Amino acid sequence: MVAYTIRRLLLMVALLFALTAAVFFLFNMLPGDPARLTCGKACSPSVIEANRHRLGYDQPILTQYGQFLGGIFFGRTFSSDSPQPIVCNAPCLGYSYSRHQQVLTMILNAAPVTFWLAVGAFVVWISISILLGIFAALNHGRWPDRLVMGISLVGYSLPSFFIGLLLIFFVILKFNWLPFPAYVSPFVNPVGFLKTMILPWIVLAFLNTAFYMRLTRNQVLETFHEDYVRTARAKGLPERTIVVKHALRAGLTPLVTAAGMDLAALLGGAVITESIFSLPGLGSLAVNSVLQSDLPLITGITLFSSTLIIFANLVVDLLYAFLDPRVTIA
Amino acid sequence: MGGLTTRWSRIASLGAVVALVAGACGGSSATSAPPASTAPSTGASTAPSAAASTAPSASAAASGPKSGGTVYLLTQAQQFDQVDPQRAYTGEDMAFFQATIYRSLEAYTISPDNTKASQLTPDLATDLGTPSNGAKTWTFTLRDGVTFQDGSPITCADVKYGTSRTFATDVISGGPTYAIQYLDIPSNKDGSSQYPGPYKATAAQQALFDKAVTCSADNKTITFNLNQPVADFNYTVTLGFSPVPKAADTGESYGVAKPPVASGPYEVQSYQTGNGGKMILVRNPNWSQASDPYRHPYPDQWEVDFGLDPQVMDQRMIQSTGNDQTALMYGGIMPQDLATVFVDPNTAQPQYAGRVVNGYDPYARYIWINVQKITNQKIREAMAVALDRASYRKIAGGEFVGDLADGVIKPNLGMDYAPTNMWTTMFGQAIPDGGDPAFAKQLISQSGAAAPTLTFNYADTPTYGKIAAAVQASLQAAGFTVNLAPIPPGNYYSTVFDPKKAGDFGIGGWGADWPNASTVIPPLFTVKGGWDLSQANDPTFNTAVAAANAETDRPTQAKDWQALNTEAMQKVWAIPTLFGKASLIMGSGLATGTGANGGLYIWGPYGSNPYGDVYVK
Amino acid sequence: MVGRSLREIIWARLRRDRVAMICLVILVVYYLIGILGPVVAGILNDSPYTLHPDLISEMGGKPIAAYGGISAAHPLGVEWGTGRDILAQLLFGLRISLVISTVATLMTVVLGVVIGIVAGYSRGVTDNFLGRLMDLILAFPFLLIVMSLSGVLTQRLTQLGVPEGNASRILYLILVMSFFGWPYLARIVRGQVLSLREREFVEASVAMGAGRRRILFSEILPNLWAPILVYATLTLPNYIGLEAALSFLGVGVLPPDVTFGSMLANSVTYVNVVPTYLFIPGTALVILVVSFNLLGDSLRDALDPKGVH
Repeated sequence: MVAYTIRRLLLMVALLFALTAAVFFLFNMLPGDPARLTCGKACSPSVIEANRHRLGYDQPILTQYGQFLGGIFFGRTFSSDSPQPIVCNAPCLGYSYSRHQQVLTMILNAAPVTFWLAVGAFVVWISISILLGIFAALNHGRWPDRLVMGISLVGYSLPSFFIGLLLIFFVILKFNWLPFPAYVSPFVNPVGFLKTMILPWIVLAFLNTAFYMRLTRNQVLETFHEDYVRTARAKGLPERTIVVKHALRAGLTPLVTAAGMDLAALLGGAVITESIFSLPGLGSLAVNSVLQSDLPLITGITLFSSTLIIFANLVVDLLYAFLDPRVTIA
Repeated sequence: MGGLTTRWSRIASLGAVVALVAGACGGSSATSAPPASTAPSTGASTAPSAAASTAPSASAAASGPKSGGTVYLLTQAQQFDQVDPQRAYTGEDMAFFQATIYRSLEAYTISPDNTKASQLTPDLATDLGTPSNGAKTWTFTLRDGVTFQDGSPITCADVKYGTSRTFATDVISGGPTYAIQYLDIPSNKDGSSQYPGPYKATAAQQALFDKAVTCSADNKTITFNLNQPVADFNYTVTLGFSPVPKAADTGESYGVAKPPVASGPYEVQSYQTGNGGKMILVRNPNWSQASDPYRHPYPDQWEVDFGLDPQVMDQRMIQSTGNDQTALMYGGIMPQDLATVFVDPNTAQPQYAGRVVNGYDPYARYIWINVQKITNQKIREAMAVALDRASYRKIAGGEFVGDLADGVIKPNLGMDYAPTNMWTTMFGQAIPDGGDPAFAKQLISQSGAAAPTLTFNYADTPTYGKIAAAVQASLQAAGFTVNLAPIPPGNYYSTVFDPKKAGDFGIGGWGADWPNASTVIPPLFTVKGGWDLSQANDPTFNTAVAAANAETDRPTQAKDWQALNTEAMQKVWAIPTLFGKASLIMGSGLATGTGANGGLYIWGPYGSNPYGDVYVK
Repeated sequence: MVGRSLREIIWARLRRDRVAMICLVILVVYYLIGILGPVVAGILNDSPYTLHPDLISEMGGKPIAAYGGISAAHPLGVEWGTGRDILAQLLFGLRISLVISTVATLMTVVLGVVIGIVAGYSRGVTDNFLGRLMDLILAFPFLLIVMSLSGVLTQRLTQLGVPEGNASRILYLILVMSFFGWPYLARIVRGQVLSLREREFVEASVAMGAGRRRILFSEILPNLWAPILVYATLTLPNYIGLEAALSFLGVGVLPPDVTFGSMLANSVTYVNVVPTYLFIPGTALVILVVSFNLLGDSLRDALDPKGVH
């Protein structure tokens, strides 16, 4: 187990390294001269050259990559010839010249919003899908099952931005049931927070609910056919005990692991939901960085969210190995 | 001026919608929808429809302006393009900052009347400045009792230091550069100034600047020595000549990392960028009305809300409930909401009377033609003749977004504007608004060349996509083949200014920096001007421009600009499309001090909201 | 022979499934319209490229007739600002939507199956490498990467000789969808192969000295088609939705061409004033996607040897 863990950790480090390289080189192929972007009308060639130098874009790409990696581990300094150079402490993901802010600061400012969005949606979709999934499984083949599965199918088929727009159109614009979304921290104004987040949670949970509902139903149905459940039935145990103690516990393990991965992906930014509701999270930060061609910011966010995913991958794998002795640890 | 950024972004986003548009320089982000404004427009204006405020309600004016309350400013942008007084160059930003946190030597008059608004009022200075030496030397004297937010006096040294920052083009980028252009400091071979700004200057280099800008012994009088006569240099000092205390300067991050040092009636309490970000301005305790007769800071507080969805903003402004009652919106109403609030451009729907207005923004919009690629003038003429300008305007949003243009000088530039007759007689026959494909084909056959395949550049937003389709359709009707080459909005101008990447023709726009076409014709059609999308470089034309620039008799100069505007159109370096207009809206709980019946108006100089004139009812 | 009779059983099961048959009919109709769209539009005497400036007003470009300009000539209305016919756009848009999703699905399946089989069969170093490659690809924030690289990669495609404009944009969409999509299928296939190769008939072939390629493609592949078919049927509607999402984020085809996705994305602006812009392509898209998903479900049930669900 220890050896397995160490191996996985090493693998993660290697993967992260490959990832930084891939992200960095991919994005440095982007169009637009970053130095030209920092310089307005007085863009004589010498000014562009000076800016390119100041931003480090005159270095060979490998050197730039080295500086970028160095920044992550040891920090770095930008604009060292300005009266107040910008010191960026490790882990330094870069400095956005269009926002005049450190990339990490911006990511950390946006992260709580995405966190609340993801966690809230997670709670919504897990609770609803488990309840409805079991309900459907218990009524297997009858109309409640068909109804639940039908809803799930339609839900699964709707693009999430379509659902979001419909909700905005009816709930906010048409009937004024909720105010226009304006994010506030739950610690500052819990009511306002809930009013803003309820629709995004629904939108984000929608697709996953549909998926997990089916997963739950099928898992539970499958376990009904397992020997130990049949044995329990034969022993005359009450149906409730069978469902809760046996079928559920065994059936939901894969569901939980899958949910872990999905949650991690969401924590990296729910691009569409955040854009639709103008939530100041990582997803909309990412979209804006792309629209503004803010290279350091794009690179930073991509790295941040893929690191989350890789890390979650590791945790889930380890947990799985820990919980399920059948996984070969060889 | 117009400020690069805005100019860029605005233009990139004419009538645009959801797509965020990013300005090229410094990554400005943009406003949505129809152009609202930006750069100081110009002035002397006899502008036909300028600020046609709509029949306002009678109740507002009765009580008169009063102090107090918070005014909210809603914007789609993620942050201000620039907060630094030397770098802000977006009309709307400049209008806002100069009304709230920054003072400069001179300011534009607060008035709904365009002609009046385009005239200067002394701000930090006691008068409109004194030219001497044939307008090659300008002197301004500071008022008594003017202070920064910490109570320290604003001196000549502060104005001088602020001015010097413009020269550090690698750090203080994106702002207006008239200081570099006009101050009497020698240039390097490539045209850059020998003075590299205060951060890196050697003693000798600093001496160059100290010679060009001098302070009197009492530190109250500042003298600018110019390299050429500039008859309206006092207009120039509204652009990037604001004071900055040297001790507080942090270079690149000035005004962002820490609040900038305010000189106006408000100071920055907090500034957070991004979606959900806010800038909060509170009263500056050390500002005194006695030292500033120009401003009337009615509200107690300003709150700028960043990163809002443009559609949501429109709905909030229209419904105007809660805090939105005292809100203004950066940028205009989107085309799809116009019918809700307007009957026609000059008339509001009754319940919105006084709250909405449609009038000139600072921009003239055009389609540039790269004359280095399309060298045959007859071909360019055919392109202009074929273009369906009526569809162009309808797609952009109809008569609300502008009048059909006949040149790049806009009527609100006052005496510099004269009809060019481009669409009536210039090409020998009248050209209908919808284009004349048959005549265009004729011109192509006269050109002696086959109709070329053309590449059309535009910022990749839904509205421009549709406009591009109309451009393509109308030119193809005349026999051209048109390939569409959209560019991500944030990269638009940096791409089309790159000769290797630019297409054959594309969308452009420009607003004058102050009411003189010297801030229009030279930038647009001379290489040194900085906005020469057409790549025009005609020696005769350049000479004529230099002569017009040097002309000190204003009416004569106006005639020169008119002629040059006509000449540029004759050579079809650009196809003028629209004299842009903006549609603004304010909350139901606001009124203006000087607007008719307290109604909203477009403040001419910057084509902006009248920030210096709004109060909470 | 075994395969054939199995196929017959499955077909018989499907035939009994009324929902599946309805979906199949709907899908056939959709594909027919996709293929014949221009013909239909021709019969209607309109094309999605024709501007109708006379149908829109100066009021911000609003269609003059009510409900987005609905009239006898334009039964679904016309586009804001341009007056282009919505029905014609729908007919042409379906075609591009189907091309993108179908080709992307095919590419995903080919990539996923080939790599999945190779990984599952070879095990060892190759498997390990491919596994990590899949991890890496799946770790990328897909939407972000697709958005930020669209400009530069579309340019690259143009330089490689793909026609400028929508040809390269469509190809880009297909490429990124399949590039980021194959690992999911490859994982499934790999798992199947791992268990298949332990089965007797494969071991028998190995014992009989059959070549590797023969074992892979003659013995293993035929046993995979059921899960692959189900996966493909469920991936295709996914890609239709994905294309819509990407359009919404600004990565999609350019006007005057449209897809269901770009029509939906453009409708966002007008949702408050002309909701039909949202509902028309939205309904068309949802019917298409639901049909695919239902059919995929029924297929899965029909193919399930246990026949439980």
